[in-house]
Amino acid sequence: MIEVEEIRKRYGDLIAVDGVSFVAGEGTVFGLLGPNGAGKSTTIGCISGLLAPSSGRIRVCGHDVIREARTARACIGVVPQELALYEDLNATANLSYWGAAYGMRGRELERRVGEVLELTGLADRAREAVKKLSGGMKRRLNFGCGIVHRPRVLLLDEPTVGVDPQSRVRLLDMVREQASAGTCVLYTTHYMEEAQELCDRLAIMDHGRILAAGTLEELRGLLGERDLLRLSGEFEPERTRNGVEALGDAEVVSIDSGTMLIAAGAASRRLPAIFEAVADTGGRVDETTLNRPNLESLFIKLTGRELRE
Amino acid sequence: MSVHFVIATARKDLRRRLADPAALLIWLALPLAIGSLLMLINSGDGGAPRGRLLVVDEDRSFVSGLIAGVPTRGELAELFDVVHVERDEGRRLIDAGEATALLVLPAGLQGAFAGKGNAEIRLGTNPAHRILPSIIEETLEIVVDSAVYTERLIADAALRFADLRLGDPTASSTGPDERLAELIQRVDLRLRELGKKVLAPPVLSVELTPAPDAGPSGGGSAVPDVGKAFLPSMIFLSVLFIAQGMSGDTWNEKRLGTLHRAATSPPSMAAFLAGKLLAGTSIATLVAIVGVAAGIVLFDLSPAQAPLAVLWVAFSGCVMLIYFVLLQCFASSQRAGDMLSNIVLFPVLMLGGSFFPLEMMPDWMAEIGRWTPNGAALVRLGEILDAQPDFPAMGVAALAIGIPAAIAFALATRRLSGRFLVS
Repeated sequence: MIEVEEIRKRYGDLIAVDGVSFVAGEGTVFGLLGPNGAGKSTTIGCISGLLAPSSGRIRVCGHDVIREARTARACIGVVPQELALYEDLNATANLSYWGAAYGMRGRELERRVGEVLELTGLADRAREAVKKLSGGMKRRLNFGCGIVHRPRVLLLDEPTVGVDPQSRVRLLDMVREQASAGTCVLYTTHYMEEAQELCDRLAIMDHGRILAAGTLEELRGLLGERDLLRLSGEFEPERTRNGVEALGDAEVVSIDSGTMLIAAGAASRRLPAIFEAVADTGGRVDETTLNRPNLESLFIKLTGRELRE
Repeated sequence: MSVHFVIATARKDLRRRLADPAALLIWLALPLAIGSLLMLINSGDGGAPRGRLLVVDEDRSFVSGLIAGVPTRGELAELFDVVHVERDEGRRLIDAGEATALLVLPAGLQGAFAGKGNAEIRLGTNPAHRILPSIIEETLEIVVDSAVYTERLIADAALRFADLRLGDPTASSTGPDERLAELIQRVDLRLRELGKKVLAPPVLSVELTPAPDAGPSGGGSAVPDVGKAFLPSMIFLSVLFIAQGMSGDTWNEKRLGTLHRAATSPPSMAAFLAGKLLAGTSIATLVAIVGVAAGIVLFDLSPAQAPLAVLWVAFSGCVMLIYFVLLQCFASSQRAGDMLSNIVLFPVLMLGGSFFPLEMMPDWMAEIGRWTPNGAALVRLGEILDAQPDFPAMGVAALAIGIPAAIAFALATRRLSGRFLVS
């Protein structure tokens, strides 16, 4: 459904996307996980046809998004990060207009608009101006506008940013429903929990590149089931690194004079030994945080920093 | 281009406009208010015009006093300031254009009235004034005619009355009251005799002759119907306000995120923009219908010209909207776009005859105004409303403003789907 081959997007000296490749299939949710500025939205922009990649190739439903733009776009639905709604029109008018943009009309359009209103839980507020709806309702309507034409490929760019928990759950359910119905969903987020919960396959992005990709299990495998230990205090970087790594099955991911990240198997049981190694090398530990293996710890392992930094 | 999407976009934009009827009304009412105000200003305070009549009374007699006194009485007194001057001074003032007319009552006028020789009353008028000199001429003719009839009927009594009034030393020694009573009785008897065999008063017929065509040039010539002259200007004032106002919607679409969504949908940006133009054109058409209907009702415009006038305004409105959209597309922000379009709007309004009719402008300014897009279109609208459409000239004007508009459309489309979208 979505085939991305070595795309690059350059803005002058800035490379926003640098050689990104992946394939997302029918009926799956493919996640792009990364912090703000990682290049996720630019990647989605290139796939949707909003931006022309500087190089590389993108095919959607077998159509090149540049050379067969119209055909490719016809099978894509986009739910942008920001709301894209006519605030002074009601929900029905918004859905009808975007349905019409994809060639729907008459009874078919009317029926589909009714279905989407039910799906998004907005049927009883359908005649109210959008500006009178709550933030969560607007988010759901924003989602509805992206699926009103029954797209085969759905691109969601951080659709849950700033959404209340109840609407978030509803949105995630709707995404799952779309995938269950055979739609290929590309989902970008910087929320690790969402990615873990929703995505069948994931790519972790940072600085315009994909650092790792695979299923959740495959990505966890990259960590080797090691815990991630974050220590704060005072350290002598080189001496402390050598002292800790001498313990065996412990890797210092990053270290400076104030913080140290250690990937270690069964780290909770080895804490006394690690503290002792730090003390022996002239350091002092003030605070300790232990993370079980997850995407966050994988991201930290891959980039040396947290996802939300 | 998807016609279905163009229409859907136009309907969507019209619904959005209707969702904010106050803004729509302002677009329609503001030009109407401005136009009405300007019309009132240019049609004066509603009072009669006032002229300055110079009188040179060289006879200084009863009869000359009567004639010179006519414009100082009754309704004429509201129209004229009568100033008695010497002949040379009068000539100088009328030559300098500082008076409406110069009336010279020569010496010997009263004698001529009594049949003693001839006298010629002279009236010189200011050619820059149209109406007041005519009133003076008509009045003077009536006075002279009256004098002739009076002379034939009661000249003797009148002269004696004049003598009496002026205290002629050669008059009879009888007391003034007795002589006055005798005169009145004599005149009364004479009028009674006339009354028995009087004919019906002469039938006066008034012939209205249209003023010669002042031509398209301005130069301060008087406008026969200010309201009618302002109608095309008011229509275009409204159309330009609409075009400028709606052009900013591209920024609203960007702010709302809907421009991005449109850019990712299958229809081209050209179709999206065409839909917006169709919405603007529809509103311009509505303005044209209202304006032309008002013209038919208020100024007796020919209804046969209405469809052509409406079509022309709709076309012109579409063209103006494209120009303003292009300006907005090249602005760096919505604020800059609004400023830029306003900077262009007001000079174009002023010069192009959409504020003051071209006919009321100085010639040089009117000539420049005809070369502005709205001025070119407005001149043709005026011709249509006058039931004198010049089709070849309309064709030329349509091409002159339409071809740049087509180029502007292409540029705006390119810009909207490019830098404007992603900046």
